[in-house]
Amino acid sequence: MAAALLQPLGLQACRRFLAAAAGRVTLRPQPRRDNKRWVRAYLEQQRRLEPPMRRSEKPNWDYHAEIQAFSYRLHEKFSLDLLKTAFVNHSYIESEEARRKMLGLEKEEIALNLKDNQQLSEQGASFSRCYLTECFEKAFPKIPPAGIEAIVNFLTSEELVSYLARNLSLQDLTLCAEFPVPPNMLQQTFFAVIGALHQSSGPQRTEIFVRDFFIPQLIGKDLFELWNVVNPMGLLMEELAQRNVSPPEPRLTRQSGATTALPLFFVGLYCDKKLLAEGTGETILAAEEEASRVALRKLYGFTENRQPWDYSSPKQEQKAKNVISSN
Amino acid sequence: MTGRGTPSRYLASVLRNGVGRYVCQLQRLTLTLSRDAPSSRGAREYVEEKVVDFARQNPQIVFYVCPKKIRIPTVVAEYLNGTVEEKFLTSKTSDEIAEIIHKLANQSGLEIIRIRKPFHTDNPSIQGQWHPFTNKPSVLSVQEIGQQCLSSPQK
Repeated sequence: MAAALLQPLGLQACRRFLAAAAGRVTLRPQPRRDNKRWVRAYLEQQRRLEPPMRRSEKPNWDYHAEIQAFSYRLHEKFSLDLLKTAFVNHSYIESEEARRKMLGLEKEEIALNLKDNQQLSEQGASFSRCYLTECFEKAFPKIPPAGIEAIVNFLTSEELVSYLARNLSLQDLTLCAEFPVPPNMLQQTFFAVIGALHQSSGPQRTEIFVRDFFIPQLIGKDLFELWNVVNPMGLLMEELAQRNVSPPEPRLTRQSGATTALPLFFVGLYCDKKLLAEGTGETILAAEEEASRVALRKLYGFTENRQPWDYSSPKQEQKAKNVISSN
Repeated sequence: MTGRGTPSRYLASVLRNGVGRYVCQLQRLTLTLSRDAPSSRGAREYVEEKVVDFARQNPQIVFYVCPKKIRIPTVVAEYLNGTVEEKFLTSKTSDEIAEIIHKLANQSGLEIIRIRKPFHTDNPSIQGQWHPFTNKPSVLSVQEIGQQCLSSPQK
């Protein structure tokens, strides 16, 4: 009987002990399941491997606000419709319509009714070329038209204009089928922005805009970096003949170490026994060419120590003149 | 680390900013904050008191405020040259946040690393590269070796 009584007690005790043991198991410190330190590094790696996305596909993008901020950023007053048109490239319209066709929309809904920036861009390009040519003809009257054209070509080249556009963050706003936006599209869009400015604020503001953004790129540039002259001596002869000066006489003025690995020659160009320019080089021919380049730079007034460009606005000058005249 | 070991750059600006006209280089700010979390209390105050004034004063910066269930409020600044900078605003007061945002708005977006010198020129020497005739009288090059100076022009 006692045994019979004890048995269930023993069983119960057994169960209690087991339960307690189970409880103890849950209390034992387990490995932390949320502390997976590799996750962060892995995610960062995945993020880097991702192909670049357009800014407009990322969160927080309000196209209208961005366009407005763009016009404020440049301190210009655009008409917003024109500015929006300036950012629409033809390839965007085509790709968007193709996409809509793929989605099976009806023909009426497929048409986007957007104008592309072709016309604006042509207008802007021709305007900025005209203005820059005029500017340089005024600033450097002695440079021949070929040189002026070379400088203008450099400033309106695809490379430089797309560099300007990229640093004004035009690639985010440009609507274009390809991504990343190719440089020729950026160039077209930048000229379209200039065209839009011309239509909305008039030529005077546009001239100042072109001056402010293109001409600082000439800082620290040499004339013959922009203008590839193959035969500078021939050009110098022509220039001097035009001015009725006798042709230049190259003379070796100094030399050192002619037979060594590091020879040095100084060639001076003399006109009527007056020193026109002096150039250096490792051979006599190179020194002569350098001397003729130095002479050309002096003739054209495009030397390293030329005066910095005048960026003051014409309005201020007019105001100053008015003040002076009223006094 | 030594000066040579740390990354460095020359003093520069984006697109020669300020030569023609000044363009504010900060283009976009995204403030992400939580509605309830105590860590974004200052951020909530900033949104209530100062964000509209800031946006009015700086129309060239697009300001996005993004309420989200997060613990760490952040502000993300995007610059014209593509730099993206993120600042954490945990437990910052609204004044401190205003200061951070003011600082972000005045930066150029170029890398913040050691600048080699507080000035920079593309043409470091006015005199030019050294050559064997630097600071030498020009008479030297004309004469042949062994020839005597017969009549110097100074006499």
